[in-house]
Amino acid sequence: MNKIAIAGCGVVTAAGLGMEALQRAVFSNASALQRRELLIGKTSQSVVAGFVADEITAQLRGADAAHADSRAFLFAAAALREAVKNAATILDSVPATRRGFVLSTTKANIEALDKLVRQQPVSAVAQRQIQPAFLAADLAAVFDCRGPVQCVSAACISGLSALQQGAAFIQRGIADVVFVAGVDLISQFVLSGFNSLKSLDPEGCRPFDKSRIGLSLGEGAAAIILVKRELLAAPAILLSGCGTSNDANHLTGPSRDGSGLALAIQRALAQARIAPDNIGYVNAHGTGTPYNDAMESLALRSVFGDRVPPFSSSKGIFGHTLGMAGVLETALCVAAQQNNLLPGTPRLRERDPVAPDSLLVEPRAVANLNYILKINCGFGGTNAALVLQRELP
Amino acid sequence: MKDLTIHAASYLGPEGFGNDETGLRAWPAPLKENLSRGELDGLHWSLLSASDPSRFLRMDLMCRIGFMATELLAVDFDALPEARRESLGVIVESFTGSLNTDIRFAQTPRPSIFAYTLPSTVIGEICIRHRLKGPVLSLIAPDTDGANALTEAAEWLRAGDAEMVLCLGIEAINVSTAIPFPCRKLSRHTAGTARRCCWDGLKICPAKNCSSPARLGTFAESCVPCRNTLAKTNRGKLRLHNTLWNP
Amino acid sequence: MESLIEELKTKIIAGFNLEGVTPADINPDEPIFGTGLELDSIDALELVAILESDYGIVITERAVADKAFASLRALAEFVAANRT
Repeated sequence: MNKIAIAGCGVVTAAGLGMEALQRAVFSNASALQRRELLIGKTSQSVVAGFVADEITAQLRGADAAHADSRAFLFAAAALREAVKNAATILDSVPATRRGFVLSTTKANIEALDKLVRQQPVSAVAQRQIQPAFLAADLAAVFDCRGPVQCVSAACISGLSALQQGAAFIQRGIADVVFVAGVDLISQFVLSGFNSLKSLDPEGCRPFDKSRIGLSLGEGAAAIILVKRELLAAPAILLSGCGTSNDANHLTGPSRDGSGLALAIQRALAQARIAPDNIGYVNAHGTGTPYNDAMESLALRSVFGDRVPPFSSSKGIFGHTLGMAGVLETALCVAAQQNNLLPGTPRLRERDPVAPDSLLVEPRAVANLNYILKINCGFGGTNAALVLQRELP
Repeated sequence: MKDLTIHAASYLGPEGFGNDETGLRAWPAPLKENLSRGELDGLHWSLLSASDPSRFLRMDLMCRIGFMATELLAVDFDALPEARRESLGVIVESFTGSLNTDIRFAQTPRPSIFAYTLPSTVIGEICIRHRLKGPVLSLIAPDTDGANALTEAAEWLRAGDAEMVLCLGIEAINVSTAIPFPCRKLSRHTAGTARRCCWDGLKICPAKNCSSPARLGTFAESCVPCRNTLAKTNRGKLRLHNTLWNP
Repeated sequence: MESLIEELKTKIIAGFNLEGVTPADINPDEPIFGTGLELDSIDALELVAILESDYGIVITERAVADKAFASLRALAEFVAANRT
């Protein structure tokens, strides 16, 4: 059975360009959410969200005029370039035909559709990249991935699902390296949707907080390069288990008892061949909506009983990044493992008593962090879980 | 896909609808008019005795045809024990995904449509209806001849990640709009032109310099592969347009 | 007021895909939600969206919505008083 290791990560988020900026935000428990006055439909509203800074967009545009009006491409390519750089020489020995690619996104370059319906000019490239399959194909071509290419679009579990698919390519022997990229944008389309469902907190999300009222959107891209373990010399961080499930309950609200998410977690633990007690930290989905965080708390108790490991939600840093969340938050977990640091929960003021008391408010240094559990839940009642394992030297 | 048995298969598209036992049946005459205009919205759910009309009527086109293709399988999911339903996976693959509803939503944003601007929502609808809790996967693929979902299903079955898998291939486009989007050959033409291609019986796309068969239009197929040794995939007399049924 | 009630009935039937329901079937003095029309929480949000796009009324407080949706007549009075 092939083991799957992580060779490199790259990110573009509200916290800035690159893993270092993200790490700084994690270590200082800082929130990079910002307030902007935006027109949603016909009304102007104050929105607090994880916007990628205009300066970063300008910088990326300057270097790639052909994709100037496709922020989805610009962000994904930037994240992939950083991941490739961090993977260093590992990729040199792998021919293009053994390199796979998986894209994870909910709406790809949806901004172009917003422009089209308003009869604003849109380039052919930006328009074509509204369709996730073409965005995936274009990115795979640029990064010379001529092995299997897939595009996953499964609401908010897309990221973890894409990592699961990338791992599967390697396990099946059809690729030695897989570039997994996640990308999503804050657009009129998505803002108006969540706004009409009254799911947003106009003051910014506060996951697991007693008086939380909603989520904050986020945007950007994240990339993780998965490789066959044999390609790495040093002790590695492995992707040792994944699991998905469906609640079979309600389309936009999670099942009340958290049983669907618990099932996904159990599947991931089973694939990783570990018991719940082995988990040293859980990075939650923790969007900050009243229902999600309550349901997750139930799911965690159901799997871990009285011994829920330290856990936190990172969405206070960069918001809910939808299709990219799983990839971004896994990259964050990798950084946590490398630094023996448990992330806190930025923007949390007072823990909801319903949440297990192992909820981390501030980051905490630990002696060792071997197994991390990452979870996400999505529209349609989908759930996903992933286990990261750091090999001992 | 040698160790895969297709337990049941169904099809729903411009030519007609049916499953591997009934074969392909033509649409009743009044509906055919709607279909020739590229409209499956007018398809009345009662044709297939959907059990929950109010839920069905809220669904968008992609979910309706995916839901109906699943009902057409005539598999009694409800009779399966809970353990079986817990290990029943669902995979959907599509090229256009939720584009049809995306365009509608972009023009008239409404909360009731928003959940349908995701290609994976059809999985949610089916899982809710049949109480399925197995592993799930939603793929967007430029070459959707059904092979992607079946390949993944075969791997899940082999690995023991699922006992049965429901595979869905869906394309749902009937938006009459000037918004152009590319066909599989990656060139561009308008939605209206593409529809004409499809209703003319899958002739070559008339857009200049494009020689791909235009497969845009409304169709869905679903099948339930289970873990058994494969006998034959080509059981029915359905006249289908892709290689799914040819071993 | 009666013509506004009829107008709202048509919008509700169309907006919520209430196939087979005619305007005569809806009693203007009964609660809109929690009765035989089988409407759910998404429908309530949909009604809020319709009020905004068709009548220019923005509702931000749950309590305001609850009062306005008490019945079709209450809704018509609310719309007549607040439309822009």
